[in-house]
Amino acid sequence: MSNPKPLPYSDPAHQAAHQFLVEEAALLDAADYPGWLDLLCEDIRYLMPVRVTTARGAGFSAQPGMGHFDEDMYALRKRVQRLATDHAWTEDPPSRTRHFVTNIRTFRYDDGLRVESALLLFRSRGDTREADLISAGRTDLLRQAGDALKLARREITVDEAVLRTQNLAVFL
Amino acid sequence: MIDVAAVVSQVRRGMIPAHVYGDPEIFALERDRLFSRSWVFLAHESEIPDPGDYVVRRVLTDSFIVARDEAGQVRVMFNMCLHRGMQVCRAEMGNASHFRCPYHAWTYRNDGRLAGLPFHEDAYGGEDGFARQGQRLLPAPSMDTYRGLIFVSLDPNAPPLAEYLGDFAFYLDFYVNQSPAGIELRGPQRWRVKANWKIGAENFAGDSYHTPHTHASVVEIGLFREPKANKRKEGALYQAGPGAGTTYKLPPGEDFASQLRYVGYPDAMIPAMTRAWSDRQRALMENSGFMISAATLFPNLSLVHNWPQIDDRGTVRPFISLRQWQPISATETEVLSWFAVDAAAPAEFKRDSCKAYLMCFGISGMFEQDDVENWVSITDMATGSMARRLNLNSRMGLTSDGKPVKPPIAAFAGPGVAYQGFGEYGQRHWLSQWSDHLEREPASQAATDLGAAR
Repeated sequence: MSNPKPLPYSDPAHQAAHQFLVEEAALLDAADYPGWLDLLCEDIRYLMPVRVTTARGAGFSAQPGMGHFDEDMYALRKRVQRLATDHAWTEDPPSRTRHFVTNIRTFRYDDGLRVESALLLFRSRGDTREADLISAGRTDLLRQAGDALKLARREITVDEAVLRTQNLAVFL
Repeated sequence: MIDVAAVVSQVRRGMIPAHVYGDPEIFALERDRLFSRSWVFLAHESEIPDPGDYVVRRVLTDSFIVARDEAGQVRVMFNMCLHRGMQVCRAEMGNASHFRCPYHAWTYRNDGRLAGLPFHEDAYGGEDGFARQGQRLLPAPSMDTYRGLIFVSLDPNAPPLAEYLGDFAFYLDFYVNQSPAGIELRGPQRWRVKANWKIGAENFAGDSYHTPHTHASVVEIGLFREPKANKRKEGALYQAGPGAGTTYKLPPGEDFASQLRYVGYPDAMIPAMTRAWSDRQRALMENSGFMISAATLFPNLSLVHNWPQIDDRGTVRPFISLRQWQPISATETEVLSWFAVDAAAPAEFKRDSCKAYLMCFGISGMFEQDDVENWVSITDMATGSMARRLNLNSRMGLTSDGKPVKPPIAAFAGPGVAYQGFGEYGQRHWLSQWSDHLEREPASQAATDLGAAR
């Protein structure tokens, strides 16, 4: 049965989830995208809704039916393959990124661990432009696969309605 | 002070002073002379299907509420309270019967009429001090629609939209009229890029030349089979009315239905498309194999139609995107990018087509990522003093005496003029309209004073 209370920080499941997210961030910052794909379940859904400014009583704060990302494994593999070509100009020279992951809360569910985290992505390109910051919350579903955890679902709740970065050639 | 005539005369001979892509003085001229009178896209009716639905959109810094009133009529109202000038709506979308100013509670119906003015009698002595009857939020000076696309012009004397669209409507219909149900929009994704707004508009108007190189990566990974140079340069580049665009050339000898199947339209959609388009529109695809791709409607609405592979089984699905290059400054643009689809399409097609869109365009799109990288870099370079010493060569497709390298396509099915092979015809067509606006003095517009002593 689902348990709405976060696991205590001392719980090994929470610690494993925390370590998963930190290791994942290390792979992304090292641009080890094939290594990152290995952390994903084959049936992954990777979502980033478009946030909108709505009245407090509106009852919604995301564009219905539209995301910045709505990816399955095929789409994510294509993105990673593209970055590995010699012609992915927007990431050559590459961005310098740092994924800061914090405020991690882990919940135990029947189908896996639901993990909430806060993400601050610092992204710097070239030597004349100001760096970009993307702030987001993430809600992940981590599933046990053998002796490792894998990411089965991620929903990225970005904190801006108008993103201030030239593209999402990076993963969050 | 900038010499507009000198800049325009260079542009008209296909040599673009590089600083126009990063010059605050040029930007001020564009604001005063171009966006002050051109028709500008704001929204699509499918974004506000029900009474009370609204979205808030801008023309540069002017914010407009685009609302469907209780009678079902679309209204476009300047988002500024008549009293002290506060925005009466600070959300970007929603549903409301009224808009109430947070400052002093002046309240407007969703058709713009002033409905509530607290203490009217005490504060103004009633109608004598402030004539409340008949007052409404300032309507957009001109508003008109075409197949659900809502446009405004800040010029009260703008020509009718249909007259403005002219021959470009023939091409616009390929994107927005695939069936009697019209299109529905999802989005927009919105993001800011440090690029001048003109670069994207020009690119979509006719830059087939960039596709083989800028987008080499998406061909290499098997996402899109078409952009290879030999296929791209056989496409048509057309200019018609205020628009211009590109097509691909599909394999020859196919009939209309197989051309649509080739780009991934399911059989269920083909009868409606066959009926929605005229013989002449169908002939563009059927006889010549020209399949529409990118286009720009002057000044800042672009459209795209591509057909990537969306799964490992090799399924190809087409998508349509509308996008607006909303100028923020000489060096910054807000991109609004919508996914568009035939409203009557099967749900499965809508899902697949949206997936195709997300992989290719929008902030995460694998085409768009590399486009924007180019445009930001151009803008970076355009702001300095060296850019004032360089006129960029935009004469591709012209001989030294200004004649086309190759004559126009003789039996082209569409209106306007079209060329085959690489050439910057569409960009020059766009820049010629830009020049027309920049060299015309702005009209002065009278201010409205509301409710004052008569």
